Amino acid sequence: MPKSRVVVIRAANPQDIGSPPDPVRVLRMFQRGFGLLTEEPDGKNAVMSVFRSDDQVGIKVNTIGGRAISTRPEVSLSLAHWLSGNGVAEKNIVVWDRTNRELRDAGYRLDGAAGGIKVFGTDTEGAGYGDELVSHLNVGSLFSKIQTELVTASISLAILKDHGLAGVTAGMKNYFGAIHNPNKYHDSRCNPFVPEVFDSPPVKAKHRLSILDALVVQYHRGPSFHPQWAEKFGGLVFSLDPVAADRIGWSLIERFRAAKGLPSLKEEGREPAYLATAATMGLGRAGLGEIEIIEEVVP
Amino acid sequence: MNRRQFIRTTAGAGLVIGAGLPSLCAGLTASQEKGGLSHVEARYYKKLPDREIECELCPRACRLGDKERGYCGNRENQGGTYYTLVYGKACSLMIDPVEKKPFFHFLPGTNALSMATAGCNVNCKFCQNWTISQVRPEQVENTDIPPELIASRAQELRCPSIAYTYSEPIVFYEYMYDTAVEARRRRVRSVVVTAGHVKPEPLRDLIAVVDGIKVDLKGFSQDFYSQYVRGDLKTVLETIRTVAKSRVWLEIVYLVIPTLNDSTAGIREMARWVKNEVGDHVPLHFSRFQPLYLVKNLPPTPVSTLEAARDTALGEGLKFVYLGNVPGHPGENTYCPSCQKAVILRTGFKVGDVQLKGGKCKFCGASVPGIWA
Repeated sequence: MPKSRVVVIRAANPQDIGSPPDPVRVLRMFQRGFGLLTEEPDGKNAVMSVFRSDDQVGIKVNTIGGRAISTRPEVSLSLAHWLSGNGVAEKNIVVWDRTNRELRDAGYRLDGAAGGIKVFGTDTEGAGYGDELVSHLNVGSLFSKIQTELVTASISLAILKDHGLAGVTAGMKNYFGAIHNPNKYHDSRCNPFVPEVFDSPPVKAKHRLSILDALVVQYHRGPSFHPQWAEKFGGLVFSLDPVAADRIGWSLIERFRAAKGLPSLKEEGREPAYLATAATMGLGRAGLGEIEIIEEVVP
Repeated sequence: MNRRQFIRTTAGAGLVIGAGLPSLCAGLTASQEKGGLSHVEARYYKKLPDREIECELCPRACRLGDKERGYCGNRENQGGTYYTLVYGKACSLMIDPVEKKPFFHFLPGTNALSMATAGCNVNCKFCQNWTISQVRPEQVENTDIPPELIASRAQELRCPSIAYTYSEPIVFYEYMYDTAVEARRRRVRSVVVTAGHVKPEPLRDLIAVVDGIKVDLKGFSQDFYSQYVRGDLKTVLETIRTVAKSRVWLEIVYLVIPTLNDSTAGIREMARWVKNEVGDHVPLHFSRFQPLYLVKNLPPTPVSTLEAARDTALGEGLKFVYLGNVPGHPGENTYCPSCQKAVILRTGFKVGDVQLKGGKCKFCGASVPGIWA
């Protein structure tokens, strides 16, 4: 059985990628990341190997952390432009999260203009949550209509952070922002709730790609922003396997923690147990031996 | 994409929604962020280093970083200070018979101005009010109504009590507490309908300003509480004990759910506990379950099951055992514990003849405990 591929693209001189990051450099990272992930050097072929030309693509970002530690607009909009330049119509792309306030606080300009890339939250009038509870395993939630009705294909574009309860918050937990009651699913280190939300039909049927915004990684005392424990890594992590993407995100966090002399998440009793559960549920691979890692630096 | 194009799509603020994804975004014609939330500092929490806080209101003891919300969904850490987001933000405000709470020994036949905000600190899979309890405050319509206005409206509307009910009032503690203080100033009483998931200190403080507390005892095993309530039974039992020792009137409700918490042995154990720990005079209501929220695969509780539960509790020596959500059943009536004659007749939430005078049975003169005037 082939390994799950995870591509880590890192900007050369990550300290200089800028704050806000230079979108042109970020775009180059997407170009290379898609190419290595799909083994399609041509941009359009790469994108079309993951999406259909008539797909309506949702880019789910995580903006709870404000401007300092959210999925950066320069990243999500670069991705949107990369997709639209390679076969997905602009009008069919929406960058979204749960509230307009959080999107604005993270630096986004809300936009619903016809024909263009859209940016808005679930609380936008006309969106909202579905009327019917989705009951799946231990989860019972209303899902954002953006996820259930507006999009046909979904990208989880999460910020990579340490998380006091889950251990790591990355691509899978990002979908907590698609349900109306994420506060109910933080018991037991968010396990099995993270994989069960992901496994629910509105997510599992549409998720195509995980990308982690690891330009700056909060490796300790997350999910809030603490600059003294934030690493300017300058990276983006790509995988078609949502579990493998998060597993490598965890490895990065452990790398930064070790470099600073911090105990591992396991030593702190909060390693991301949800990953093993997710693997058991067949959502992807959590063992490092089952994951092929490709790392590359781009100028 | 060049820099100029990029800046156009990232800079600035303000939503401009004209249309959307083909055939899917027809409704996206304007932006709306539902009603503002309150920004009132919460009580019962401690500040920790690095802008973290630990909530000390309920046994969950949520430890939260900046911008995070508690399990309840309506309290948020903002920069190291913990705020309640629902102070003065009622999502439900109704006039109900006090029997609907249910209180059967508390000013029978009167109305209670009943209020709630969004949020709850447990997650019962059988919640009968999940559309307000299991949501965040920005997901419901809220009415701005400060404590003093609620108290004065209760007085104007001739409601002798205010009920904090529907969702879980512990999670709108500050709002409830201040309203109860305002109400008492106007000689309006306060009754609380709660799952009892609260720490001792806030409970003690609450007891000082309210007049009645009804606790939902949702089962009698920790397994049930873990699996179906996501709560802690010991805490709830301690709450019941504490209220029983106070001057506040206590009633208990047990929602009987077929196959989940309706065993005769379990009901007997619970009834014995009530008798031994809080007294045989405390009213116990067996309420009928309706399939809602996440438990839709079970039927409504058969009346025979409720009757069997009532018989078991009476057999254990409890004096006031009622059936709920079975309008017209004789188990809704209050019977004198001495002469066994009906002293309060009820049909649903409607009270008929009351054969009590000064809290005593008109037939035999025996005392019937409660708040009668």
